[in-house]
Amino acid sequence: MIGRWRVRAIGLVLFVVTLATALAAQEDVGIARDETVYMGAGDGYARWWLDVAHGKRGATSEKGITAAWGGPGPTDHNREHPPFMKTLFGLSHKLLHDGLGVSRVTAYRAPSALMHAILILIVFAWVAAAWGVAEAVIAALLTLCLPRALFHAGLACFDGPIATLWVATLYCYWRSLARWSWAIVAGVVWGLALATKHNALLLPFAIAPHFAWVVARQAYATTAPGAARGLRALGWGLVRRWYVPVALIALGPLTLIAVWPWLWFDTVPHVRAWLQFHLHHVHYNFEYLGDNWNHPPFPWHVAIVTTLLTVPAGTLAAAAIGVLARARGWWRSRGELADGAALLLGLSLAASMGPFLLGSTPIFGAEKHWEAAIPTVCIAAGLGAVWAARAAAAALGELWAGARHRLAPTLATVAVGGALIAGAAAETAHAHPYALSSYNGLAGGAPGGADLGMNRQFWGYAARGALPFLRTQAPLAGAPPRPVYTHDATPAWGAYARDRLLAPGLPDAGHEDAGVARSQLAIVIHERHFRRHDFMIWQSYGTVQPVFVLRFDGVPIVSVYRRPAPR
Amino acid sequence: MRRPVPSLTSRLARLAPALALVAIAAWGTCRAVGAGAGVPGDRAWAAVSQRLRAELRPGELIVVAPAWNEPTAYLHVGDLVAVDAAGRLDAARYPAIWELSIRGARAPETRGLRADRSFAIGGVTARRYPQAARTVVTDFAPQIATAAVGGARAGGPTYVLAEIGFAPHRCAQVTPAPDGEVTLTFADVALGAELAVGAGLADVFTRRDVRAPGELAVAIDGFEVARWRFGVDDGWVRRTIVTRPGRGTVTFTARAVGLKATGRLICFAAEARS
Repeated sequence: MIGRWRVRAIGLVLFVVTLATALAAQEDVGIARDETVYMGAGDGYARWWLDVAHGKRGATSEKGITAAWGGPGPTDHNREHPPFMKTLFGLSHKLLHDGLGVSRVTAYRAPSALMHAILILIVFAWVAAAWGVAEAVIAALLTLCLPRALFHAGLACFDGPIATLWVATLYCYWRSLARWSWAIVAGVVWGLALATKHNALLLPFAIAPHFAWVVARQAYATTAPGAARGLRALGWGLVRRWYVPVALIALGPLTLIAVWPWLWFDTVPHVRAWLQFHLHHVHYNFEYLGDNWNHPPFPWHVAIVTTLLTVPAGTLAAAAIGVLARARGWWRSRGELADGAALLLGLSLAASMGPFLLGSTPIFGAEKHWEAAIPTVCIAAGLGAVWAARAAAAALGELWAGARHRLAPTLATVAVGGALIAGAAAETAHAHPYALSSYNGLAGGAPGGADLGMNRQFWGYAARGALPFLRTQAPLAGAPPRPVYTHDATPAWGAYARDRLLAPGLPDAGHEDAGVARSQLAIVIHERHFRRHDFMIWQSYGTVQPVFVLRFDGVPIVSVYRRPAPR
Repeated sequence: MRRPVPSLTSRLARLAPALALVAIAAWGTCRAVGAGAGVPGDRAWAAVSQRLRAELRPGELIVVAPAWNEPTAYLHVGDLVAVDAAGRLDAARYPAIWELSIRGARAPETRGLRADRSFAIGGVTARRYPQAARTVVTDFAPQIATAAVGGARAGGPTYVLAEIGFAPHRCAQVTPAPDGEVTLTFADVALGAELAVGAGLADVFTRRDVRAPGELAVAIDGFEVARWRFGVDDGWVRRTIVTRPGRGTVTFTARAVGLKATGRLICFAAEARS
């Protein structure tokens, strides 16, 4: 048995390692298209809060709030996305960059890295409390060693943070079943999740059935037999644990409103506008199994297949064993769920992925949309690894007397868990910094993913990898600039120039045909629907030949074209 | 009471999950991390380029398989691929097709053909497929400026390199008014034994936002010889019409089907072939 302080020390180490890893990894990752929007909005939000803290007159008036948080247009001041993480990005930039001299992009991204560290800590704490420390360490490290999740952990975006706040809400709720004060924390954390991304609206689909099941089951034994005993048990359970739903229902929305001044007036219309934006969101282009999808109906299996092809194969196999082991235990105990943590995590996965099984859910991105489901997979993998290791140790002990050592189960766990973590870590390190192009061993790696016609990447971040080549194409001092057609990297171009990753004399040429016509150099970030940029460039430049192709494991991700000299 | 002793099979079975996990982790990692080794790099492509330049004859077409590797192939042999060849109607006018393939992939253009030459360098396989080339007696799309144009239109006609079905196609692009028709008449042109026509809807974003189909009709000397519809997911649709060699007037009628068909970019290319 490991002491409480030792468990806390392990959790602290995991937290620090994750924070350091996420912060270090993001330094090599190019700027994603959406990040520039969130960074700009976050600066405005942070400035507003600081103005309020300094007592600036008029800041909290309707006019003052609108000037920083909203406006008549549906995307004014990025009001279509709730502000919690953006506010942290802005505050972090002020503190870490303006105050401490940390690089601009790292300063914006630091809150996401911090959130990822919190996710790993929660996974560890939850699994340690529910099942054991060995399971917890393996689950936490497998969650850290996910190529795509680590990628998102280093962006000033919402997909990593919402996964953290999703799992955090579930954890706090789970703790509230044993201790009422956790219900207050759960309500506040759910509010922060709502204030991060609209995925949080799906959390009740995980919590409500779990809560109903747990309270009804616990009250069932003390409920008198008779008609509708289950319903009466549910009623009694609700009465005994009334504070859980009340805290969530009251504190969640209140927290959302508290951190989002745009909701301080015209609350209902503003909430409606926020939700309607996402219900009617334009569909993105997305390559999946050889086809480009941008209109419903979408294949129902996208979330499942994409997960199966992007989570390391060892983690998936361990998760399958973990699920089977838990199901076996559940069957043998005649449905006894002990604490219900496994049921809650299963419902979490279903609620997170469920909308993408409908085939009509607006926005068709990638694994990031159901990232909150993936910790469930890793937790199952932790359980599966330890179960398999202990079974092996027991079997070895029966086969061979020399293996009957008290440390045998521990050594077996280290061997199995170590192999899984080492494999996942190697995949994660290898995928860096182009994790959105990476696929697992089941797919056959990145080339296998390309063969299968899976999405190459999105957000235009890989353009950063072409900047060193573009430096060799920069004009000499005093020579005229050489405009670059940048298409999906346009929003990041100014930031690359400001951070001196882009050589001087390579300005953005502008958009579409006019931009291509003006350009001397052009980049194409390879996605299937971006082939049109290749063709525009071929027509204008009179050649199909790029002068540089950035590849990940041999798979083209960015091409650079140079306008041939006139003959 | 003594517990029954588990059989050897049962004991080994309990070892299996742990061994399987270690094996799958190792296999999965090796396959993912080592996948790049299965894709030929610049050295192989440079050697292929050198050899191909020695063997390629004027007028022969180069295709790449799988398509996702085209940028890497074009980095090395792109100067041998004219923009018009990349945006071809089809491969029928070329006397031979060189297929540059990796990972065992095949290009659709070489389906049904038999290679007469091949070489392989560092994972790249080059195969030459000879075929009976069709002679083009009239290439319509580049002559769009000479066509008589009629009907209500929102744009065009222009001669462009368009994205249709995520592939490049040199074509005449016209945007009829919603539910309207645009006619393009080429008077007194040479005709061969067949008229090959390719058509489709250009621009992925227009295809996403406007779901109505397009339609193309072909008339020779006033008689309609073909008419077909193509939708947003149909890509580049080809038809071959048997014609009588000689001279004639060919009219192409592009229609944006339905009142919702706003901004419908209809593209077509046509070749009269002997």
